[in-house]
Amino acid sequence: MGGRPPRAVPGGGRAAYPMVGACDDDLMQRRRGTTPRAPHPAARSLADDLRHRTDEQLTTLLLARPDLARPTPADVVALAARATTRTSVQRALERLDRGQLQTVEALVVAAEPNRAGTAAVEDVAALLGGDPTEALDRLWSVGLVWWTSSGPHPVRAVTEVLGPHPGGLGLPAGEVSSEYAAHTPPLPDDLPALLAEAPVAARAILDTLTWGPPIGAVPPSGPAHQGASWLVTHGLCAPSGIGHITLVREVGLALRGGRLHREPALQAPALTDAQVDPAVADRVAGAGARDLLGLLDQLGDLWTALPPRVLRSGALGVRDLAGLARSLDVETAQAGWLAEVALAAGLIADDGELTPAFSPTPEFDVWRSRSAGARWATVAQAWWESPRAAYLVGTAPNGGATVGALGPEVRWPAVRGVRADVLGELAGLPAGTAPSAESVIERLLWRRPLGDRRALTDAAEAVLREAEWLGARALGTLTSLGRALVDRVPTAELAAAADATLPASVDHVLLQADLTAIAPGPLDGALGRFMRLVSDVESRGGATVLRLSGESVRRALDTGWTADEVLDTLRDSSRTPVPQPLDYLVRDVARRHGQTRVGAATAYIRSDDEAVLAALLADRSLARAVLRRIAPTVLVSQADPATLVEVLRAGGYSPARESFDGTVVVERPATRRARPPVARPAPEPTLSPVDAALVRSVVATLRNAPERPVAGAAPPVTLSGSPQETSALLRQAVSDSLAVWIGYADSNGRTARHLVRPVRIDGGRVYAVSGESDSEQLFMLHRITGATTG
Amino acid sequence: MTGGPLIVQSDKTLLLEVDHEGAEAARRDIAPFAELERAPEHIHTYRVTPLGLWNARAAGHDAEQVIDALLRHSRYAVPQGLLVDIAETMARYGRLTIEKDPAHGLVLRTTDRPVLEEVLRHRRIEPLLGERVDPDTILVHPSERGHLKQQLLKIGWPAEDLAGYVNGEAHPITLREDGWVMRPYQRQAVEGFWHGGSGVVVLPCGAGKTIVGAGAMAAAGATTLILVTNTVAARQWKDELLRRTSLTEKEIGEYSGTRKEIRPVTIATYQVLSVRRRGVYPHLELLDARDWGLVVYDEVHLLPAPIFRMTADLQARRRLGLTATLVREDGREGDVFSLIGPKRFDAPWKDIEAQGWIAPADCVEVRVTLGQAERMAYAVAEADERYRLASCTPAKERVVQDLVARHTGEPTLVIGQYLDQLDTLAERLDAPLITGETTVAERQRLFEAFRSGEVGLLVVSKVANFSIDLPEASVAIQVSGTFGSRQEEAQRLGRVLRPKGDGRTAHFYTIVSRDTIDADYAAHRQRFLAEQGYAYRIVDADDLSQDPDGRR
Repeated sequence: MGGRPPRAVPGGGRAAYPMVGACDDDLMQRRRGTTPRAPHPAARSLADDLRHRTDEQLTTLLLARPDLARPTPADVVALAARATTRTSVQRALERLDRGQLQTVEALVVAAEPNRAGTAAVEDVAALLGGDPTEALDRLWSVGLVWWTSSGPHPVRAVTEVLGPHPGGLGLPAGEVSSEYAAHTPPLPDDLPALLAEAPVAARAILDTLTWGPPIGAVPPSGPAHQGASWLVTHGLCAPSGIGHITLVREVGLALRGGRLHREPALQAPALTDAQVDPAVADRVAGAGARDLLGLLDQLGDLWTALPPRVLRSGALGVRDLAGLARSLDVETAQAGWLAEVALAAGLIADDGELTPAFSPTPEFDVWRSRSAGARWATVAQAWWESPRAAYLVGTAPNGGATVGALGPEVRWPAVRGVRADVLGELAGLPAGTAPSAESVIERLLWRRPLGDRRALTDAAEAVLREAEWLGARALGTLTSLGRALVDRVPTAELAAAADATLPASVDHVLLQADLTAIAPGPLDGALGRFMRLVSDVESRGGATVLRLSGESVRRALDTGWTADEVLDTLRDSSRTPVPQPLDYLVRDVARRHGQTRVGAATAYIRSDDEAVLAALLADRSLARAVLRRIAPTVLVSQADPATLVEVLRAGGYSPARESFDGTVVVERPATRRARPPVARPAPEPTLSPVDAALVRSVVATLRNAPERPVAGAAPPVTLSGSPQETSALLRQAVSDSLAVWIGYADSNGRTARHLVRPVRIDGGRVYAVSGESDSEQLFMLHRITGATTG
Repeated sequence: MTGGPLIVQSDKTLLLEVDHEGAEAARRDIAPFAELERAPEHIHTYRVTPLGLWNARAAGHDAEQVIDALLRHSRYAVPQGLLVDIAETMARYGRLTIEKDPAHGLVLRTTDRPVLEEVLRHRRIEPLLGERVDPDTILVHPSERGHLKQQLLKIGWPAEDLAGYVNGEAHPITLREDGWVMRPYQRQAVEGFWHGGSGVVVLPCGAGKTIVGAGAMAAAGATTLILVTNTVAARQWKDELLRRTSLTEKEIGEYSGTRKEIRPVTIATYQVLSVRRRGVYPHLELLDARDWGLVVYDEVHLLPAPIFRMTADLQARRRLGLTATLVREDGREGDVFSLIGPKRFDAPWKDIEAQGWIAPADCVEVRVTLGQAERMAYAVAEADERYRLASCTPAKERVVQDLVARHTGEPTLVIGQYLDQLDTLAERLDAPLITGETTVAERQRLFEAFRSGEVGLLVVSKVANFSIDLPEASVAIQVSGTFGSRQEEAQRLGRVLRPKGDGRTAHFYTIVSRDTIDADYAAHRQRFLAEQGYAYRIVDADDLSQDPDGRR
């Protein structure tokens, strides 16, 4: 038994998650804790309703539904048309929480019997078993509902998007099927008596269908078949297609006891409210943030020394990732996250070489020279904005190929929305409240009822974990840094906040006889750079253990330090005296440093006959070769070998050219070939967010738009509009039996205006009754340049 | 939580700031579960390992205490992950116990059924177990007790062995404390061991491990098998036991390559037990020759692999391990834990020195420069020849002479690896030479003479490394070593760290050829010394005469 339920809203799953812009407004709403209440003036249409909204209300609407703001709608009518397109309504529905969604369903069910399409608030309340006022307000403010004088009116497209089975109810008796026309559904009062005589099989079927899906397949024979027949005979169910029955809506509602939902969820599920000391959480977060900076530093060093290859898929190899995890002494998951964060912050990148590798960018060096707070702020904001879901690394979503770190498959822009939601949820609580991860996820699932449960849960868990690695969350609570991140404070401010929270860096080290230097806290700035140069990190954490070795000291000498400078700097920055073995080590390395010299010359001249070389040196005609003697039998020159050979020949000498291994080479003209062009990845599309500033300008445009002529007046000369708006308007006209002006391009390309009454829209064709005639005419949708209600 | 002396690192090391006022309290609190890894002058490094945590569990500490200690003494916030990890690791110990069931004999019991199910499914463990008695209990064949513990540790579910021990054949042994008494820490070590049942006592060289062994034997009052590294060590154990206990010559047997005596107290060498002929160990029967009540393992960190295998079969007997370090260069610390037992007592080397039981040492590395011809020879030598070349440079001989002259009147050892070099040195210094070829009798005669002060200077080869007892050596000069082994360094340092009657400073010189592989190895060993808390200096041979004599 049980047919597949038609999906109330198509396109669930990952992609259905609202994009980030939507969440800001949600967030603000939640933070304020109230919904703006407005008087609901009776309106004739959504456009009429919108026209009477205040600027603030329009702003709320546009922020909540950014797709309406771009491109800027010409006027309120265009805005209304856009707000009623299926796509836009679909998106708006996806942003509703479970309570609002249930209210919408209740509204649609309650409005169904009413020809005017409005519902009585009391009916909605009865269906929900709770007070829908708040939810209705919100639905109104996002433009899914407008108010007529008789009650709330859901936007037509809502009913369409929700489909024929809102809340899992069957079709109402009037629409269910022609075979059913003979019946009337039993009254709720008669139902118990009727059910008492129902055969067991019929009862079982009813139990299954009551809470939806309301359609069931009927087996060709057996008790279930008889049960189904009984149900149809008694008017409880109606045949629905071949071999299926559907539970009549009125019966379903009665069986549900007048309620629409099995689990009413008008209110958000409670979060557990464990308390921690916010100051302690900040300290833990500070340590975590420091750790993160240290790890990124280490990652940069590792990949400077040995940049891992970019696989053909564009990802980092599994083995390289495992190696990174080993070197950093973290779990693979965290290593993947670190690499992704570094990529997001622009600290590492595909170097685009012939054999591409991931290596630190110049930005990495700049980043490194900043204060700890600034470094953290950069990384934190990069994480917050990143469209990449690092936790997917190593998983194989949908049974596909395993996702590689830094590869293209990690991209999932919706994860930004999850981040904003999860941390926003925490930000709505008083400081120090540490709800359990489970309760936060439960709340999130309530807030995003149409999302893919598993994908959401995974993402939310990952966000919580990552926030902890970042230092935005600690001990289960949002830290002050996390709060600043959620509030999108400017980078400089965030950096300052981080500088205050991260453990202060120390300005000294302790030198020990085992040739270690210990910084009893984080090292930054000049001392940090010096110590990194002159020693190698051995262990990180609250403190840093650095080891000085011959090799590390030589590295410092290589960059121009002298032994005395190194020792003086060490002495100045150490709280303890420089141990004798360290002093000895530095001097010993310095003693040997530079004993062997390496230089560059593009060509050499060698001869066993020192006299010949002396002659060459003295020969003025060779002056332009700039010869220098570096050994009795070797001269070097900056001229390239070919030139040098020519110069010598011109001077009357007969040199032979030799290869690197000393054999004499015969010259041939070289052939030159260009390198094949390297394919560059297409730049990422950039999209500025729909923010308050943009919305302000949109609202201003709407206000300044010239009034559209009222009904009966002459239509505008040219009609144009976006296809979505046009199609929405036409659909609206069909359902409301309205006449519209359309601009129509004929086969010669001329555009003419027609006043038509659309009857139905089907497969890109609009059937409409044109002007005075009563006959249906056919208009091709793609030729309609625009439409406006007359 | 702020301002404490301890810094917890993300790699599970703990840094302890020694000069901090809370350092001692912190050290006391973390010592049970963290291994002291390095102890240079300012910051000591401890490491938290699963073995360390299980050692702490075995000693009755719980995770709460461990976490509390970290939180209390830590300067910065402790990483949450680390705390969780500690709690989880510690919780793994004791979920499985090996017990003696009155009805079924030896059984493996669990308090957590899924764990038992998990280990049962393990390919290596399943064959070691017998029938299932009830859902939480399963039979263990007595002979597999050791193997089982080994395997369980390997998969991270160490079993607590509560099955007890056989008493063994009683044999009264008492300590004869005439003119000497057991030092407090030795007494604590014996108690720690006895209450724990079996396990390892970690004491630095020269801290009197033999006496701890004797104390344990007295506590057991049973026949004892003592396993030592070599014959010389065996003789020394015998001497020491005769001197410190009521045992007589007749009661102590030696079981070595030359003698095969089995007496109530038998001292056997690892070597003879590890002898293998045609795939069998002919001397293994020694282990069953008597009903031993106690088995003592000297220098546990050197215990060879075959002895581990045998030890696995000895799980019903009390086992005492004695060592200066739990660090094994072969990384088999886990086998020591599961087969001999957890650490029962540990005293940081420096602490014992501070108590005055070990002479403070002055470590000096003297660098000599190779002659021009030698440098050429070194430069072109094969890699495997280089170390010998660098080690045996004649330049070292002059330095040795200088040093010996400087310490005239102090008992001095010259220690080396290469016999040619030692021969030359012995000749030049006119001192007796002890090598592997020296007969045991001759060796003992020379040692005795050295001890009595009759001979003031000995040149010794590698044999000096292990378990010889030269109480009055106060200067050691090392001319060549075995590739920078840390153990060797500990041993050699131990040679000179015996308590001196007059509280003199001990001197430890290493002579190293500059710019050669010798210096690289020396750096290795020196790091170990510095990590043990010994300040050392590096002096050029030419500056040696200006060196302020090192008497600080």
